[in-house]
Amino acid sequence: MEQLFDLSLLNSTVRMVTPILLAALGGSLCARVGIFNVALEGLVLVGAFGAILGNALTGNLFLAVLIAIGSVLLFSLLFAYITIHLRANEIVAGVALNFLAAGLTTFLLRTIFSVKGAYYDNEMHGLPAWDLPFLQQIPVLEQLFSGHTPLVWLAYLFVIGLHLFYFKSVAGSRLLAVGENPVAAQSIGLKVRKIQYAAILGCGLFCGLAGAQLSLGQVTMFSEGMTAGRGYIALVAMMLGQSNPVGMLASSLLFGFMDALSIRLQGLSIPTHFTLMLPYVMTVIAMFFFRDKSYLKNTGANSSAR
Amino acid sequence: MKQWKQTLSSLIHPLIALLIGFLAGAIAISVTGTPILQAYQEMWTGAFGNLYFLTSTLARSTPIILLGLGISLAFRSGYFNLGAEGQMVLGAVAAALTALYMPGSGIVKLLAAMAAGMIAGGLWSLLAAWMDAKFKVNLLISTLLLNYIASLFAGYLVTEPFKDTTGSAALAQSRMIEQGAWLPKLFAGMSLHAGFVLAVVIAILLTLLLRYTVFGYELKITGQNPLFAAYGGVNRTRVMILCMLTSGALAGLAGTVEVLGSQYRYIDGSLTAPGYAWTGLMATLLANSNPLGTTIAAVFLAALQTGAMGLERNTNVPLEISSVIQAALILFISARFTYSFLKRRKEEKNNGATV
Amino acid sequence: METILEMERITKKYGQFTANQEISFALREGEIHAIVGENGAGKTTLMRILYGMEQPTSGTIRIHGAEKRFANPAEAIDSGIGMVHQHFMLFPSRTIAENIVIGNEPRKSIWFDRKQAIAQVGALAERFRLPIAPGQKVGDCPLGTQQRVEILKVLYNGAKIIILDEPTAVLTPLEVKELLITLRGLAEQGKSIILITHKLHEVMEVADRITVLRNGRVTGQLEASQTTVEEVSRLMVGRELDGIRRETQQAGQPLLQVNRLFIRGKKGKPLLDHVSFHVRSGEIVGIAGISGNGQSELVQALTGLLPVDEGTVLLQGKEITNRSVKQIREAGLAHIPEDRYLWGTAKEASVKDNAIMGHHRLKEFQRGGILRQRKLDQLVTGWINSFAIKTSSLANKAQNLSGGNLQKVIVAREIGHATPFLLACEPTRGVDIGAMEFIHQQLMDKRNRGEAVLLVSSELSEIMTLSDRILVMFEGKVVGELNAETATEEQISLLMAGGKQP
Repeated sequence: MEQLFDLSLLNSTVRMVTPILLAALGGSLCARVGIFNVALEGLVLVGAFGAILGNALTGNLFLAVLIAIGSVLLFSLLFAYITIHLRANEIVAGVALNFLAAGLTTFLLRTIFSVKGAYYDNEMHGLPAWDLPFLQQIPVLEQLFSGHTPLVWLAYLFVIGLHLFYFKSVAGSRLLAVGENPVAAQSIGLKVRKIQYAAILGCGLFCGLAGAQLSLGQVTMFSEGMTAGRGYIALVAMMLGQSNPVGMLASSLLFGFMDALSIRLQGLSIPTHFTLMLPYVMTVIAMFFFRDKSYLKNTGANSSAR
Repeated sequence: MKQWKQTLSSLIHPLIALLIGFLAGAIAISVTGTPILQAYQEMWTGAFGNLYFLTSTLARSTPIILLGLGISLAFRSGYFNLGAEGQMVLGAVAAALTALYMPGSGIVKLLAAMAAGMIAGGLWSLLAAWMDAKFKVNLLISTLLLNYIASLFAGYLVTEPFKDTTGSAALAQSRMIEQGAWLPKLFAGMSLHAGFVLAVVIAILLTLLLRYTVFGYELKITGQNPLFAAYGGVNRTRVMILCMLTSGALAGLAGTVEVLGSQYRYIDGSLTAPGYAWTGLMATLLANSNPLGTTIAAVFLAALQTGAMGLERNTNVPLEISSVIQAALILFISARFTYSFLKRRKEEKNNGATV
Repeated sequence: METILEMERITKKYGQFTANQEISFALREGEIHAIVGENGAGKTTLMRILYGMEQPTSGTIRIHGAEKRFANPAEAIDSGIGMVHQHFMLFPSRTIAENIVIGNEPRKSIWFDRKQAIAQVGALAERFRLPIAPGQKVGDCPLGTQQRVEILKVLYNGAKIIILDEPTAVLTPLEVKELLITLRGLAEQGKSIILITHKLHEVMEVADRITVLRNGRVTGQLEASQTTVEEVSRLMVGRELDGIRRETQQAGQPLLQVNRLFIRGKKGKPLLDHVSFHVRSGEIVGIAGISGNGQSELVQALTGLLPVDEGTVLLQGKEITNRSVKQIREAGLAHIPEDRYLWGTAKEASVKDNAIMGHHRLKEFQRGGILRQRKLDQLVTGWINSFAIKTSSLANKAQNLSGGNLQKVIVAREIGHATPFLLACEPTRGVDIGAMEFIHQQLMDKRNRGEAVLLVSSELSEIMTLSDRILVMFEGKVVGELNAETATEEQISLLMAGGKQP
């Protein structure tokens, strides 16, 4: 057991949680304006591909991350246009977008890189690991927080930033107002659509970073469908955390831990299939503790009480 | 006359989406440098060019039709069953194992395997329905996550306890089913099997169910307004359980006919890699959950895929071109909800209801 | 007095339908101007145009003589127009102060200065003598207070012209009195007020001038001091109303018996607090009350949609407490629901599918689970003729029907069940006068046939016209029972507000 649970497991938890956390934070922006964004999975996938593409094209990591963000923003814009302007059912549009992301990345993988399944290049560099000097002085934290990419640090900073934004800033207060009662928000002259667009694009930014961390931080490669349901797990993390940044950090840590644990368990004699199942099983179990269905108000009973 | 006009106008939107889909495809094709017209011609030939290609297309459409029908049934009753993939995989592996280990003659094995496949898929779907009804676990997300669990579990079965150790050891697959338990082929030497007939029959049965039965009526109303259904005395839990059970069973059947009709064993990943379940979902969306429409849409999407395979054989356009066309298509189909929404608002005003 | 606002020859068309036809009116500074009319007369459309929520097909708006066009509410707000909506536009999870300042928040750089907001709102409330506690959550406030918040919000944004859309619909009589005093006070401080309503007594009490609309046209513009309720009413309706044919008859045996029904609430206060009453055959019993005082819960409990914690319900002597909706309906209950879009119909389903609900289970209309479509068609076609329902076909979607026609479908369906007992909730909410008269007559006919009706309505006039006996609900309790012939509006109003039975 000692080999199973140690500080390096927690260290990899801190790392593994990052894409989930970033995507969950992004999803919360949408949820907070009343849009249930099922497309997180596809957005992160596009981000992961964009990062690798950017890296291959420019060889510059900073530009690679920017390209990842840019391509996800384009995708988000499409989602925003279809759900807000064309008023498509957001779940159908989200599912469609996930499909488009999977199809397009596979297609481009073949046309641009001429490979099937996965692309990697030994010459390619991933995101660098940063150590924060003041943390290196403290024994336990040093092991927990050493060797993480800048995006990992950024993700944790975003938790604080988003908390301040939601609950302390004027813009955040208005954003929450749009989600709580869009009709009322409209009546006092708030630009509901603009705010919704901004929220979806903000979500795209977060998902782009999540994708970059996935393909350039965790590993340095892109493989078809490499998100493997992390977008959906992020969605559950968002629901469990009630779209509250600190709450989402807590729930994401739980899933990140499961992710890390499932990799760790592969070293033992448990069949890989079961260890791989762990994050999904835990996510399903976690949903038993989340009962509020209000976020689905647009999908099921569409009441038109005027 | 009026009805005829209505049917026509309901077709306009899918046609526009179709056009956009092919337009997106054209752009993608032009990136690869192949002439667009030639590419689409190749696709047509690959899908319908001769009896062999035609039957291949129909064979490919078979699981897609069944999956699409299952999903459309759930949609009609107002439930987002996105777990068809897992339900199909469990159905397939259950069918394969039953056909292998069930004692008796070929036909007994065949029938038992079909029953097992449907039961496995149905129960897996029911699990999600039960979690939703009893514990309010969000069906949309739970069915999605259960897909991963089901695929991994089925993968485990054929890599560990039931692995085929006779042939090449590298493949995760079950042993081959004996020939007596196979679904018969419809044409000698072609891949089309009896599963296709079964799928079409089920589509017709579902149409009749929705249109002419008490249960079909209650199902539709539950999907359109669950509160109205409850008010009218419809037992919503019963409707949900039955619909999700049937929906899962149809997905399980899709996996079953693939195993019994074309692969004759369960091969890990052979059902998930072609994205059958997602294509089935798209067929449903394309046809607005109408069973016969779903069938036609499924054949169309299958043709797109077999056509793309032909395209890849003869040009340098990768077969994923079909994913691009499908995805663009579906994205704009999702905007249909819009179109009807705008219309609705206008009509409300026409009647002065909001004055 | 100076004219502050002119609307001139405003026309608004939605396709074939004309909601406003060349409406002109002028608002003077410091006056209260009432715009009255029935449902569908075009009041709300006119105000939506003024507030920038709709664009007129033709016509002009002038403020202080300058022509204006409002593309959205924000532009109207900038021109000093404020609107208090019928359905409050509030954020229940936020404090009163946050609700008032939103859109115009006091800030320190990018941060929301909540302390400053509370101070500003407190000062504003003091100035206009509208007592509120700025730090309180809006969701915890009674409706009267929420309305004050709405008015303060409008004042905070600097409105000179205040539109109030049916402001008294949700208020208790006492709150109505306070509101009218507030409005007078605001007018005296120089605000110009447009009051949209169909309650004429309130209009006569508070308004300076009255504009009457009917079918999208102006039918009269009057000085309040020189007219009567009767005159305005005639201009509003355009004809004398037929009376309801009521036959005097002796009520029979108790058909529905409700004994000490109790439903626990979430916040300690019970939703239903030991409610007991009975309805006899051959009578209409009305339940009056401000909405939200347990009527909805009572109805849902009686029909099997909400489980009860204690107490019993007997229908024709048979216990139906906590039975399923289907069992209760089979025991002899039909139900016109309070919200036809939420509970009463599926808007995307056809008129036929909406009309056959419940009937589809009967032996007459199905054989072994197969629907007998032809017989169902005959049934629904019969109703369309006898109830004069305007629909293009049986396959027409419910959402294409007007409110009144859809309500007729529901009434036809439920009366068609021919049950001994009918529960009718808000049977005429939001329907035009013609449909209202028709539906009232249907209910009365049912009573005259010796069947029983329980009528739940927030329209006191409806209760008083139809009922034989009147029960009043307040905070989940039945607080009074009155004989309809001797009861006065004042008595009922007092009980509705929680006063004791005199």
